[in-house]
Amino acid sequence: MLRFFSMVGMLLILSIFSFAQVQLTGKVTDAKDGSALPGVTVKVKNSNVGTITDATGTYHLSVPSKATTIVFSFIGFADQEVAIAGQSTINAALQSGNKDLSEVIVVGYGTLAKRDLTGSVTKISAKEIENQPISTFETALQGKAPGVVIESGSGKVGQAMKIRIRGTSSISAESQPLYVVDGVPIVSAPQGDVNNDPTNPLADINPNDIESVEVLKDASASAIYGARAANGVVLITTKRGKGNDKTNVDLNLSTGWAKPTKLRGFLDAKEYVELVLEAASNDGKYAFAHQDPANPRWTTEQQAIDYYQNRMKNNLKSLSGGNDDWQTYKTNTNWEKLAYRDQAHTNQADLSISGGNAKTRFYASGTYSDQEAIVIVNRFKRYGGRLNLEHTANEKLSFGLNLGVSRTELTRVSTDNAFSTPGQMVAQPPITKPYDANGEPVYKPLYYNALVEAKYAKDLQVTFRTIGNAYLNYNFIPSLSFRSEIGADIYNLTDESFLGKETQDARGIGKGSSIFDQNATINTNNYFTFNPQLGTDHSLSLVAGMSYLQNRYNGNWVTGEDYPTNAIKNVSGAVNITGGSSNVQDYAFLSYFFRANYNYKKKYIASFSLRSDGSSRFGPDKRYGLFPAGSLGWVLSEEDFLKDSKWVNYLKLRASYGLTGNAEIGNNKYLTLLQVNNYPGLPGLNAFQLGDPRLHWENTSQVDVGLEFGFFDNRLSGEVDYYNKQTTDLLLRANQPLTSGYPYLYTNVGKMENKGVEIMLSSKNIVGKDFNWSTTLNLAYNKNKVKEINGQVVESSDRLQRAVEGQPIGVFYMPKYAGVDPDNGDELFYDASGKKTNDYTQAEYQVVGKSNPDWTGGLTNTFTYKGFDLNIFFSFVEGNNIYNLAGQYQSIGFANGLDNQTKDQLNRWQKKGDITDVPRVAYYTGEAHAPSSRWLYDGSYIRLKNVTLGYSIPKSVLSHIKLNGLRVYVAGYNLWTKTKYISDPEVNTYTQGNIGGGVDFYTVPQAKTITVGLNVKF
Amino acid sequence: MKYGIKYIGGLLLGATMLITTSCNKKLDVLPGTQVPTDQIKNENDIQAILFGGYKSLQNYDGFGERFLFVTDLYTNNNVIYTGTFQNYADVYSQTVAENSTIASGMWGNAYEGINGMNLVLSRLDLVSDANKKAIEGEAKFIRSVFLFELAGIYGLPYSNGNVTTNLAVPIMTKPVLSGDDLGESKKPRATVDELYKQVIADLKFAADNLPESYDTKKDMARANKYAAHAFLSRVYLSMGDYKNAAEEANTVIESGAYALVPDWANEFNNTTFSTEDIFAILQTSQSNAGTSNNGLVTFYSFDQRGEVLVDPAFVELYGDGDKRKSFYTVLDPETMTSNKWRDFYGTIPVIRLAEMYLTRAEANLRGGTTIGDTPLNDVNTVRTRSKAAPLTTVTADDVVNERRLELCFEGDDYWTNKRLKLNLGQLAYNADKAVFPIPLRELQVNPLLKQNKGYREK
Repeated sequence: MLRFFSMVGMLLILSIFSFAQVQLTGKVTDAKDGSALPGVTVKVKNSNVGTITDATGTYHLSVPSKATTIVFSFIGFADQEVAIAGQSTINAALQSGNKDLSEVIVVGYGTLAKRDLTGSVTKISAKEIENQPISTFETALQGKAPGVVIESGSGKVGQAMKIRIRGTSSISAESQPLYVVDGVPIVSAPQGDVNNDPTNPLADINPNDIESVEVLKDASASAIYGARAANGVVLITTKRGKGNDKTNVDLNLSTGWAKPTKLRGFLDAKEYVELVLEAASNDGKYAFAHQDPANPRWTTEQQAIDYYQNRMKNNLKSLSGGNDDWQTYKTNTNWEKLAYRDQAHTNQADLSISGGNAKTRFYASGTYSDQEAIVIVNRFKRYGGRLNLEHTANEKLSFGLNLGVSRTELTRVSTDNAFSTPGQMVAQPPITKPYDANGEPVYKPLYYNALVEAKYAKDLQVTFRTIGNAYLNYNFIPSLSFRSEIGADIYNLTDESFLGKETQDARGIGKGSSIFDQNATINTNNYFTFNPQLGTDHSLSLVAGMSYLQNRYNGNWVTGEDYPTNAIKNVSGAVNITGGSSNVQDYAFLSYFFRANYNYKKKYIASFSLRSDGSSRFGPDKRYGLFPAGSLGWVLSEEDFLKDSKWVNYLKLRASYGLTGNAEIGNNKYLTLLQVNNYPGLPGLNAFQLGDPRLHWENTSQVDVGLEFGFFDNRLSGEVDYYNKQTTDLLLRANQPLTSGYPYLYTNVGKMENKGVEIMLSSKNIVGKDFNWSTTLNLAYNKNKVKEINGQVVESSDRLQRAVEGQPIGVFYMPKYAGVDPDNGDELFYDASGKKTNDYTQAEYQVVGKSNPDWTGGLTNTFTYKGFDLNIFFSFVEGNNIYNLAGQYQSIGFANGLDNQTKDQLNRWQKKGDITDVPRVAYYTGEAHAPSSRWLYDGSYIRLKNVTLGYSIPKSVLSHIKLNGLRVYVAGYNLWTKTKYISDPEVNTYTQGNIGGGVDFYTVPQAKTITVGLNVKF
Repeated sequence: MKYGIKYIGGLLLGATMLITTSCNKKLDVLPGTQVPTDQIKNENDIQAILFGGYKSLQNYDGFGERFLFVTDLYTNNNVIYTGTFQNYADVYSQTVAENSTIASGMWGNAYEGINGMNLVLSRLDLVSDANKKAIEGEAKFIRSVFLFELAGIYGLPYSNGNVTTNLAVPIMTKPVLSGDDLGESKKPRATVDELYKQVIADLKFAADNLPESYDTKKDMARANKYAAHAFLSRVYLSMGDYKNAAEEANTVIESGAYALVPDWANEFNNTTFSTEDIFAILQTSQSNAGTSNNGLVTFYSFDQRGEVLVDPAFVELYGDGDKRKSFYTVLDPETMTSNKWRDFYGTIPVIRLAEMYLTRAEANLRGGTTIGDTPLNDVNTVRTRSKAAPLTTVTADDVVNERRLELCFEGDDYWTNKRLKLNLGQLAYNADKAVFPIPLRELQVNPLLKQNKGYREK
């Protein structure tokens, strides 16, 4: 600690020495659009006296009184010389340049110009996030940021997503990135009902309030977040007002209509009946062929067939409601269609007002959105407001507040793994009726009818969230400032659910539950920033400070049953309280950090950062971790041999190395704990978990080498990165013998790696007066490998997937399907020696696929012609598999029940010699219901994610109606998809966890949406 | 302003330092809802851990459901499973996967219970002398009941002979308290002989040291002396040690502590122990084995999932007038369900007096002994209670038939078939697949374990 303060002292002294004679000040802007240019070198001509502009484009320079001229120079812009001539304020507007390089990038505890950055950071700006029919902003990053893989779990709204930055770096700890909103690390893990599919706390943030999202990918960029950075860091900066004395009012209205991208297609009544009877006939043939010769039951095959067909006809009659309608296909219900709304509507309205002057700037906004899921019942609404306020008291002191509040209402359907969820309605046979003559949903056509649930159950999750921080900036001297921030993320969630007497799980009694969760994070950041003026050749920026975060989770829940009436839908209507409890959990992080950025002549850049973190999640001896990172950059285009190149405008090589950590395993995992139980009359204690006191951080080291370039007058620009992430001391939830009384132990075992390449290319294909065409391509390749787990077998919850040494995480581990025996229609598998067998028990369990893709990316083409703009965006994923877990019910030729079957079953084997990959159908004597690669599909896809056509009314027209801007647009999402998968390829019933993924279990497909919108600026 | 700078600067530095020191302590966070094991300090704590054993018995992986239910599914005697849960369907079709959650669930829950009991047994120093033996007996009762159940589920039955080579399950006698004790848990499977010896020793100790009854109603559910005797009668019966089986059953009957419930239907779906229940599992609306995806009622009751149908041919075996015959819900002649498990919060009899009569009768007949009343009287005692016509003569096989009619859906058939070397459906009693697989995950973490024949080892 002492060292830290002595360093701060030195900084103070240094800055005082640099005080000098006459003061010059001013602001440098881009001549093209008047925006501020940070990082511009301002230098007295023919001397070494100089400085660079700060993030607002402003500079302060002490010049010798003899100086006559100052020079503004900046990469990609033409130099500009200005005579001082006694002025004390000199502004400059620089001509023609590549603005991207001067773009301000938010990094941890500060900002940097893109050109000075030596780490790997992807910035997504507001215009890529705004005004889309999305419930949460991450959706908009999909395919936009190379190396960031985003998987929406399903077409349900408000659901959690799986997000990986540069691959999965842990097996048992969390691998989702850290999210920081205006300096406050926020809660992003699902809260609330653990018995339903996880929801997404990030949906509380209004996407339209976001100014930029920076994704910190390499260690150099992220290590300043130390123990929490191994999965990458996503910095979210909200919009603020500009001090230009103007008040801007921005109104956005949009409305949309959505449908499923794809219906899977199931048998209709005729096909169903034919196939079911064929199954019965096959049963008869099989039974006849396999009967005991000593004591035969049937004398002819036809007798056996008749026996089984008659039994089946009884079943069909019973499904048909006791009549013979099944024979005439009178009832032909398309259950799949019933699961979806005819038309799902989305409405959104946003209003923001921003403005201010040199002293006070503000941004205020209000939002309302109402999004119906394509699936029935499911709906998400959000109301929110934001106020960002900043006041500059004097040149030394400024302070401000960023505050966002929101309320969301999510009307939920049950988990994918329940008869009561609409997605499972496809299991009902087409010959069953969804509703009876009175219009009441039929209770049990074959299985419990989800339409009963839709009518008589209710599940509403409401969150109320406040994310905000207050800050104070104090400039001791122009080069030394101190910033203190206190922020909070207060997340309140209630979930009221009710099951009426008519529903399956509360049949005859009615059940209700109420959940209340509060998750409160308090965070403070306090740090010094020191930018001494060291002349034009040297530039140094230092940041040092501390941060403390504490989180308290408080939750309670109560369940009750025996409702005298359905009219009261909360627990107060329950006569019998069946359970309830409360829960408290705390964690805290205490951290110190330091960062230095140095550059010499704008050519050679070096950066170093160090963070020390203490976490309550580990035992007293293992609490602290140290996370250093360093990086170097070389701007080749500033070297003499390239400076005058006609076609190379910008070329930078950078490399970084650093350590980051992961502590996301939940609390108290190092302790052996007992929990209270409630056996009637005998209150007792049972085992809860086994602990390892030696438990400590998971460490990830990462090397990154990157090349940034701009060619041909910056018409072609981009970035290429190579990275190598090595994770050691994995926080592994290792299986232990159950004979110990405990299923597993969290312990630091094993190694994992992620290697990859990221490419981002931006091309201005046509730059004209009226017509412009530009293309952006981003591509990322990631290769994950579990290097060592000490022989442990670590499986997903459904045991379909594993972490296997030498393989990427989450490989599907099951028998390999070998097609169909043309002789008898049997399902075949490969045995240990690679031979085909029809005996499932002889089949060899092996790696048959993987859930994470190799390649991901996006391609955007933007055209503008006069007032028209057209944006066409494709995203794609390659190299992953999807396992249709529902296949064992819906694509198995009735061997696992009378569930309706997918259309591919029509291609079943029928007679000797048939070549097909769909085995014969049979009800009693059918195939193994057990997992095999039979239901594993290539999950690669390319998708037309978005097409937007907009028209902005010309300024000349607008001035007559006193508007600053008016744009109308129509946009389509998920309009076209190419994939080999049988349903929507963007499905994943397991968004949480690292091993399980890429599994479709009656999962709702994505929405295909058309929206029209209006954007007015006053 | 210069002073101002110093002042503010100093203040900020000071504040930073203050936050830093006060925050350091905040890293000491204790769990809010669980107890670290170093907090076990007195007899109360030990008793609480002992009571935890009853929760493990109540679990759906114990007597709350699976010990009674999946054994009946496996036996294929009188139930028809029509549900969609793959893991149960696999039990019914006798193709249990090595990674079945049922196989690993019952195993894991039992050893969780056993570990708790070993923790109690290792800290008897905290218990007052007056209670020491009784607590020791109670912990040993629970431990032995779990071991006995596991031995029958995962290993060949005693009746198969070769008891010194046939494998049962590992016997755990020391508690695992931290990661450092894990080596202790990696034991090989004990032989059937070793396991039965351990179980008998534990149960005998319990029978000798447990009280005849408990004073307070709250303690009603705790195992007493007769619960231990009753289990001993089961153990001896499965060993074919008929004399001891009859003796132990006789001890329970002769104690006079229990009486058959006069009206058959009142033995089930009670909120408390009946006069007939020697050992049972209590359930309430707040503490039960499951109400939507688990629990006997979920599967058996026609107004719940109703996925377990009763073979109509079985129901035909009851004579007319037998109250047990009408204890079914008949939806149509092909579709009927048992009424034994109708109340989610009802008590689950684990071992009841009727079984003692039937055990004494059969054991006397097979062992040629005359312990207690005559076999004919014993069987008729059970029959007349449910208004079935009394038998005039009785053979051992008659008693077994009576046992099936009386104890159906209570998990008895599995044990009966195995001890009498009768088939389980198509499988011979000692066929490879007539036992559950040792859970695959156990083999993966404990190289000393051996898989049952016919099942995958990896």
